[in-house]
Parts: sequence; structure tokens; C-alpha cells
Amino acid sequence: MGEAAAPETVVVIDDDYAMRLSCCKILSKMGFGVEAFEDGTRGLEGVGRLKPGLIVVDLKMPGISGMEVISRVHEIDPQITIVVITGYATIDTAVEAMKCGAYDFLPKPFSPDELRLIVNRGLERRRLSLESQRCEVERAMLKRRFVTFVSHQLRTPLVAIHQYLDVLKHLGDTAEVAAKREEWIDRCLKRTDELQSLIADWLTLARVEGGTLTKERIKVDLKQLLPGILKTYEAMAAGEGVSLHAALSEAPLCVSGDWNCLTVLFDNLITNGIKYNRPGGKVTVSGWPAEGEVVVTVGDTGVGIPEQYRPFLFDEFFRIKDEGAKKTTGTGLGLHISKKIVAEMAGSLDFESQPGTGSTFRVRVPAWHEADVAKTGSSE
Amino acid sequence: MTRVEKRILIVDDDRDFVEATQAFLEANGFTVLKAHNGKDGVKLAKMERPDLILMDIMMDERTEGFFTIQEMRRQEELKGVPIFVISSLYTEMPDFDNPPDRAWLAHDEFLAKPVDMVQLVEKIRQRIGQPA
Ligand SMILES: Nc1ncnc2c1ncn2[C@@H]1O[C@H](COP(=O)(O)OP(=O)(O)O)[C@@H](O)[C@H]1O
Ligand SMILES: [Mg+2]
Repeated sequence: MGEAAAPETVVVIDDDYAMRLSCCKILSKMGFGVEAFEDGTRGLEGVGRLKPGLIVVDLKMPGISGMEVISRVHEIDPQITIVVITGYATIDTAVEAMKCGAYDFLPKPFSPDELRLIVNRGLERRRLSLESQRCEVERAMLKRRFVTFVSHQLRTPLVAIHQYLDVLKHLGDTAEVAAKREEWIDRCLKRTDELQSLIADWLTLARVEGGTLTKERIKVDLKQLLPGILKTYEAMAAGEGVSLHAALSEAPLCVSGDWNCLTVLFDNLITNGIKYNRPGGKVTVSGWPAEGEVVVTVGDTGVGIPEQYRPFLFDEFFRIKDEGAKKTTGTGLGLHISKKIVAEMAGSLDFESQPGTGSTFRVRVPAWHEADVAKTGSSE
Repeated sequence: MTRVEKRILIVDDDRDFVEATQAFLEANGFTVLKAHNGKDGVKLAKMERPDLILMDIMMDERTEGFFTIQEMRRQEELKGVPIFVISSLYTEMPDFDNPPDRAWLAHDEFLAKPVDMVQLVEKIRQRIGQPA
């Protein structure tokens, strides 16, 4: 990052003039900004002002003890790495210092190499710990945002239902509202369905992320799986005026995967092909083996995916809502889940699309190897 | 010229919410205008200058309502039009990162979804009166 370019500052606190001098010389040669102080009080003032990444402090000084310096420095910033310098006779104290939070100690006398080594190690540790702290914060923020978002998604249909019921309760007897009753009840039922599928999808996602859905690896022949799935959606497709077609190669299409996961995956792609289609349209599922992989494409003759939305298509909850988009129900989780499943299988999922003409989603996964049997066997 | 009609603009991307709220407001004598996203909301508000605006927050964009309120507050034509936020996000939303500036706090009332319709009408009446 940008700040990595700025030299790290190191502070030396030692009452011994010769020691201060030689430490400063060694450390500034290493490229650090160095400042030295002759006692704890001045040293602490310097630490507060300079915000160093590391300090080297003598344990035995007149005035404030080195031990106290350690705890006061960590009050200023717990991420400052502290190296203590001790005489031979005070190894016990050095151990004590480390218990108080010092990172390491240098027994006197020490060579320049020893100092260099310990300072570099100390700063490296500091960098790593800062980095992991930053990741932690970022992860917590993402999680918080996700929770707000999910609760909003769950509440939206509930709110709609509540609002209809509230109006029906207060105005159910008036002619205007009575005329709407049927329609509103239907809408309420639709919204409960929406809530159901949201919860179902969310659970599936949690299972995929937790690994419980993708754990099992068995030999699955897609030539058996896919026709079954297509059959399940025949009624839905007919309702939309869409026809379903399979174009699977003669050869078996065996992959190593989990039957349920693969079902979730192709369910999503096929229902999307139906939903985002047009009356009279087609959905074609093709499959063929290719160099150690199995490729399956799900093509439709539907609305297509406008260029500007493509980067977001696999994001959780993303749905296209522009004027051209058909009014369909959905959670926006299907493709996100599908992508995760395919990634888990060490495969890839991508798509091509022509707005107004249709889209084709392509799954590539490693083909089944007989050697996989052994792996599965031993893991059971 | 005094207008006896009281017009309320609802900006919300949930059509069911809009439909139910519209029915209740109309039954109470208000005239309802509606928009399903912030952009249309601003357009309609400038054109029609409603007496009051009900605003959702999370529409297509996570903070669309906030931006929309800001935009509306910049419009000369909309000076003095009260805006009520109706959102399922609880009040000040601590984790809403960096609202553009604090201008979105300019909303006049913050009501949690689901909103009690009777109470909503009450609050609207207090603010703009009952249509004749
Ligand atoms: N075959 C397709 N044709 C056009 N648009 C699609 C297609 N598949 C997905 N999309 C777009 O991507 C969005 C996300 O899809 P998905 O994650 O399956 O969620 P859902 O179908 O529940 O909305 C859909 O809302 C739709 O806008
Ligand atoms: Mg889908």
C-alpha cells in the first residue's frame, strides 16, 4: 500500500550514550527514521509524537523503568512492537518484560546483525498483525452489511402482506376495498411464496458456504441427471409458452460431484432460461465431454442480459430491474449459489448474451476419473 | 387559488406496498401519485409539486431514498414540501456507510415499516390537514 513506501520510524530509549549512538547508526543505515532518547519520560513523549512502528528500550534506566515504559507505550498504541535491551544478569527481567508485552529481547552486548535481525522480525510481525486486523474489520463490515441487506429482503414481502391486511382490516367493508379483496389475497399468497423461496435459497447458500452441500463426491452421470430435471420443469415451461430441448452427446457425461448440488445448479440455470424467455421461446440444454472436462450449456432465446449489468450477475441478491426486464419473481441468489457450487467443484461458470436474442450459460467441470473412487473411498 | 385536493406522492419500489397504502390514503380523501424509483420520484415531484412525499430508502440502490431526498431538497419547486421516510431499516442505521452528507437527515418524519396506516394518516393530517 501507499504507506509502505514511507520509512518506518524506530525509537531508541537508552541512558547509555554509546549504545544510543550505535543503535541509531545501525538502524538509520537500514533505512528507518530513528530518534533516540535518554530516559523513559522523554522517550514516551517521543513515542506519542512520532508514532513509531517499533521501539528499542533499555530495561535498566534511571527514572521511569523500562518495564513501565513498555506498559505506557502499549497504552499509546498496542500495535507498537517493543524490543528490550538487557544485561546478562537480568534475563529474568527480560522474561518478565516479555510477559508484559515486549516482543523480544537483546542481551548486551549484541552485534549489529543481531539488532538488524530482531528489528526486521519485529516489524514483519507488526505488519502481519496490522494486516489481519484490517481484514477482520473489513470482514465484520461486510457481514454487517449482509445482515442488514438480508433482513431487508426478508422484511419486504412481510411488510407488503402486513400492509394489505391492515387495509383489509380497517376498510374491508367498503365497496372499493371489497372489490380488491380477491386480488390482494392472491398477492399476499404470492408474497408468502416469495418469502419461502428466499428462506430456502438462503439456507442453500449457507449450506454451500458451510460445505455441507458439496462434501459428497460421487460419480454422477449428467446424462441421467439432466433429463430428469428437464422433466420437472416441463409444466412451468409450458405455462410460459417455452419449449425445453436436450442435446446431450452419445458418450456418458460423468463428473465427480454431489447429486443435490448439481441439481441445484441446473435447476437455477434452467428455470432462469424459462423465466427470462418469451412466449414461443426455447431452452436448450447441451452437454459434451472436452479434454478431461464436461461442458454443459443452457441456452435460451429470451430477453438477454444488457452489457451494463453483466459484472453484477453473480452477486448475491442481484436482479435486473430496468424497463426492459420482464416482471418475474426471484431472489437474486440463484446464480450466486450456482457460481459457488461450480467453484467448489473446481469448475467454471460463465455466460454469453445478446440482448433481445438470448443468453447461454456454460458450466465446465472436471470429468470423472476412475482414480477418484479411491479418494472417495478413503474419505468415507 | 386554493387547492382543496391534498396530493401525496409515494416513492417505493414495492408495488404491493404502494397499492395498499394508496388504497388507504384514497379512502381517507387524499389523492395519490406514485413512483417506483428515486429518479421518477424527483421528476414527478417537480412536475406535480405534491403536498407531501412518502419515501422508501432501499430501492434499486441501497441508499436510493437518501440520495433522492437530497436531490429533492435541492429543488426550488419543492421548498417546504414535507418528506416522510417509511423504511424497514431501523431509524438511524448505524451501519449505513458514509451517507453523502447529513442532508438526508432533513426528512421530517421517520416511520418504520410495516407502518400503522391509521397512524400514518393521522401524521399526514397533522402536517398538511385534511382534504376538503
Ligand atoms: N437466462 C437469463 N436471461 C436473462 N437474464 C437472466 C438470466 N439468468 C439470470 N438473469 C438475470 O440475472 C438475475 C439473477 O439471477 P438469479 O441469481 O438466478 O436470481 P433470480 O432468478 O432469483 O432473480 C435475474 O434476476 C435476471 O435479471
Ligand atoms: Mg434464478
